[in-house]
Amino acid sequence: MRRYVLAVFLKEAKDHLRDQRALTSALFFPLFGPVLLTIVMQVMAGWAAGGQSVKVAVVGAERAPNLILFLRQYGAAVRDAPLDYERRIQEGDIDAALVISEDYAENWARGRPATVQLVSDESRRASAARVQRLEQLLASYSGMIAAQRLMVRGVSPDLARVVQVDRIDLATPEKLAALLLNMIPILLVIAAFVGGMNVAIDAMAGERERGSLEPLLTNPVPRGAVIAGKWLITVGMACVSVVITLVGFAIAVGQVPLEELGVKASLGAPELLGILAAILPLTLFASAVQMLVATYARSFKEAQTWLSLLLLVPTIPGMILAFAPFEPTFGMNAVPVLGQHLLVDRILAGEGLNGGRWLLSLAAIVPLSALCLWVCTRLLHQERIIFGR
Amino acid sequence: MILVENVHKRFGDKVAVEDVSFVAEDGAVTGLLGPNGAGKTTTLRMLYSLIVPDRGRAVVDGIDVAQDPAAARARIGVLPDAKGLYPRLTVREHLRYFGRLHGLWGRALEARIDALVELLELKELIHRRTEGFSQGERMKVAIARALVHDPKNVLLDEPTNGLDVMSTRAMRALIRRLREQGTTVLFSSHVMQEVSALCDRIVIVAHGRVVADGTPAELLERTGHHSLEDAFVQLVGIEGPA
Repeated sequence: MRRYVLAVFLKEAKDHLRDQRALTSALFFPLFGPVLLTIVMQVMAGWAAGGQSVKVAVVGAERAPNLILFLRQYGAAVRDAPLDYERRIQEGDIDAALVISEDYAENWARGRPATVQLVSDESRRASAARVQRLEQLLASYSGMIAAQRLMVRGVSPDLARVVQVDRIDLATPEKLAALLLNMIPILLVIAAFVGGMNVAIDAMAGERERGSLEPLLTNPVPRGAVIAGKWLITVGMACVSVVITLVGFAIAVGQVPLEELGVKASLGAPELLGILAAILPLTLFASAVQMLVATYARSFKEAQTWLSLLLLVPTIPGMILAFAPFEPTFGMNAVPVLGQHLLVDRILAGEGLNGGRWLLSLAAIVPLSALCLWVCTRLLHQERIIFGR
Repeated sequence: MILVENVHKRFGDKVAVEDVSFVAEDGAVTGLLGPNGAGKTTTLRMLYSLIVPDRGRAVVDGIDVAQDPAAARARIGVLPDAKGLYPRLTVREHLRYFGRLHGLWGRALEARIDALVELLELKELIHRRTEGFSQGERMKVAIARALVHDPKNVLLDEPTNGLDVMSTRAMRALIRRLREQGTTVLFSSHVMQEVSALCDRIVIVAHGRVVADGTPAELLERTGHHSLEDAFVQLVGIEGPA
């Protein structure tokens, strides 16, 4: 029996390592999540840094002491402009410069518009948020003085305010970052399913479509050995996919300034091993289910359609946990996919891998996988599966 | 030796094989001749145990196929109706895979593959992947993989279907070689010429029943025709056993 399984496994391994399509999806798709995480986190770290004080260089500060005082009060780092301020703005040392015009004081005193030049480099995305903040400060200074002037003349400043806009931003970077970290278990679960998908399709539906299943079964090899060999290679690919995803995340999380985002998450060696131990058993189940579906499918295309739909199912628990968290019970660990999610969530929260919960998830996965494989083996005895093309 | 006794098989309402019996002797070529849909393929599939007969039994070298299908399959080489190959594997890898599924490994396996390369003139093809092979080349690989364990019984389902003249001649030569070695060869065909050119014994099947069974000379004598083709047409036209 073992030699038969080995023969099938070796053949499938060789066959699939030559299959560009299966390899690409197993090796490159897993990197998608970590890359996305890195990019989004970097952008958000930029937003968070937008909360830092704006660095303004001022030319002719002595002509507008009132304005300078106002800016300082509201947290701007104001200083006299160096001679090369334009270059330093382009290099990002200074966010913006204010050039107070020569006749500022005179116009100010006469109640005419007093000119201030705002010098910035719009191509620098990093300082854009801070320059915007500076503009808001200038606008509110202008509005404040205007209101004072109107009151002095006995006019209510409210007349000059037609629409009052209050901005309320719900998306704090912290919240978004936490949400993104919730993506890690989702993407790991998907990797467990995506990694072996093409292999399962090719090994079962492909075998039927090519008309190679009938010749294969004319050999004195037990059906169970055929299924086992094909399942093992599927599991292998899925595991590779999970490991790549996890390593990708480990690197991505290392790149991202999580502390700046106020997110507590540690992804050191113990956590990584714990996550591996939590997720890898899922590949047994994922591969078994995929083999079963792919055995039913008459063609590559049909199997692909069904398995792509199936790929959506394991994302459901993760989505619910991410967007509408509920209090998990111990028994929930027995549900495949959901159980692994809960395990990884706890590890990411710094609680480590819980042995009891892990055993429960395993106790559910092993018999379920065995059941799928048993049904697969039964199917290989059916005439409509062997010959139905 | 292959023995088929009163096998029946129905798929739903459709009766595919209704009482077929015949014997294929060692060192002889037996042809299963019949029009399309006569039940030839189903009969062969019952022999290599991928279809279980509703009634009756098939015996290969004294082994009841239903009782020990794996042992029976080990004694036959099959070129089934479906002859699909693995496009990403080379010819040698195909033969290695099927050889291992027959329990052959290592040096014995490689030696057997080398012998097949000789027998089937596979030298040019052996290291090539099968993607893009011609019909004749694909057939060669399929037959080589059926013979990889040097079986005493060979079942060939429409072995010359879709082949050009050269490949057909090569296939005939191979069948004769196998007979010389004492192999039991049972092949199915719907082409009269194919069967008459090769067979020691012809089993004519129509509508799931054996309508005639004998040497070509016996069949001619029985029907009173001078050509086998006329005899075939007359026999197949008859409902029920003759």
